[in-house]
Parts: sequence; C-alpha cells; structure tokens
Amino acid sequence: MFGPFRITNPLSGGLLWKIPWRLSKFQKRRHRERLRAVDGVVATIDAALAKQGQVLPAVERWKAEMPTEAEMLPKDKYTLFDRKAKRYRKGIHKLPKWTRVSQRVNPPGF
Amino acid sequence: MSFFRITLHRSSIGLPERTRGVLNALGLRRRGRTVFHPVSPQFAGMIFKVKELVRVEEVDKALTKREFKASRTPDPGFYVEKARTRVDMGAGRQT
Repeated sequence: MFGPFRITNPLSGGLLWKIPWRLSKFQKRRHRERLRAVDGVVATIDAALAKQGQVLPAVERWKAEMPTEAEMLPKDKYTLFDRKAKRYRKGIHKLPKWTRVSQRVNPPGF
Repeated sequence: MSFFRITLHRSSIGLPERTRGVLNALGLRRRGRTVFHPVSPQFAGMIFKVKELVRVEEVDKALTKREFKASRTPDPGFYVEKARTRVDMGAGRQT
C-alpha cells in the first residue's frame, strides 16, 4: 500500500498523463477566441474574393455547414461526440491537436 | 490589386504532411513569418486549408522584405553623423 515499491499507475506502466475531464474557464475562453479567429479568417477570405467576384466552393461549403462561434451551442463548443464515452460526449480537449483543428459539428442524429 | 497578408500564428508541429506542405507552398516556414500573396481563388484555397494556423488581412499593397522590416523597426532615437570630407582652404588639398 505505502512505501517505495507500491503499485501505482506511473510505476507499473511507466508514463501516466492525466487529462482533466473538463476544461477550465480559461481554456474555454481561449477556445472561444480561437473559434472566433477561424471565423475571422474565413470571413476575410470570403470578403476579399467577393470583391473580385470570385467564389471558392470550399468556403461556400464551410459557410453552409459550419456554425460560427456565436451560433454554436455550448455543448458543441466544449464537447464532442464519442461512441465509446458515457452519454456519447467527451471533452473537446481529448481531441488530438484540439487547439489547431476545427471540430464543430456532430455526426447525423447526434 | 489587393493582397492577402498572411502571418503564421500557430506552429505546424505534429500536423499532417499535407498541411505542412501547404504552409511551405505559401512560404510560411517559421512561426511569425509574414508573406503577401495576391487575392485569388488559388491562394484563398491554400489559406483556407490552414485557416486554424494563420492570421490573415486583406491589404492594398504587398510590402517587399525591406519595406516590411522598415515598417516593424522602431525609431532608434538617434542618428549617426556622416564623416564629411574636409577641405583645407589654405592649401586646397583634401585630407
């Protein structure tokens, strides 16, 4: 139970990374700012192309399918679908590279 | 003609090869690097591919490397006097 040779996760497995199950309010705030920054980039591209009368299909598709930060529900902002998780949701910070990828929508039906 | 002013804000470490390739093609090889590209669907598509990593503005003019550096360099607050050629009026020779 105690002492130098006790069986703990780091001792038996070597490496243990603990990811907290929820985001802190500061992480949530920075996450919202990143979402808004991506929205801003898309808006800039769209406005610049519109001035020249050009249309980019990828941007049109993004605008049609992806909600902006203000339109998103808190549930979708901070959690994502996971078929293995209890109640099918887990924190978005469990997604690899979650600060540098866009994950905004759920699979159909969820 | 307007330009995209693109700055690499987030590093591409650990991202897919395709993403890093797009950044290389844009000329963004280090974080904080700023490049200018004309507004066109081709460049817009490339920026769209890396939209999570960059900051983009639309500007009227593309700055050259030297102009860009000058725009970021603060006023040093002093200037260095240039050495002037002195003329000896009596002998009329330069020293």
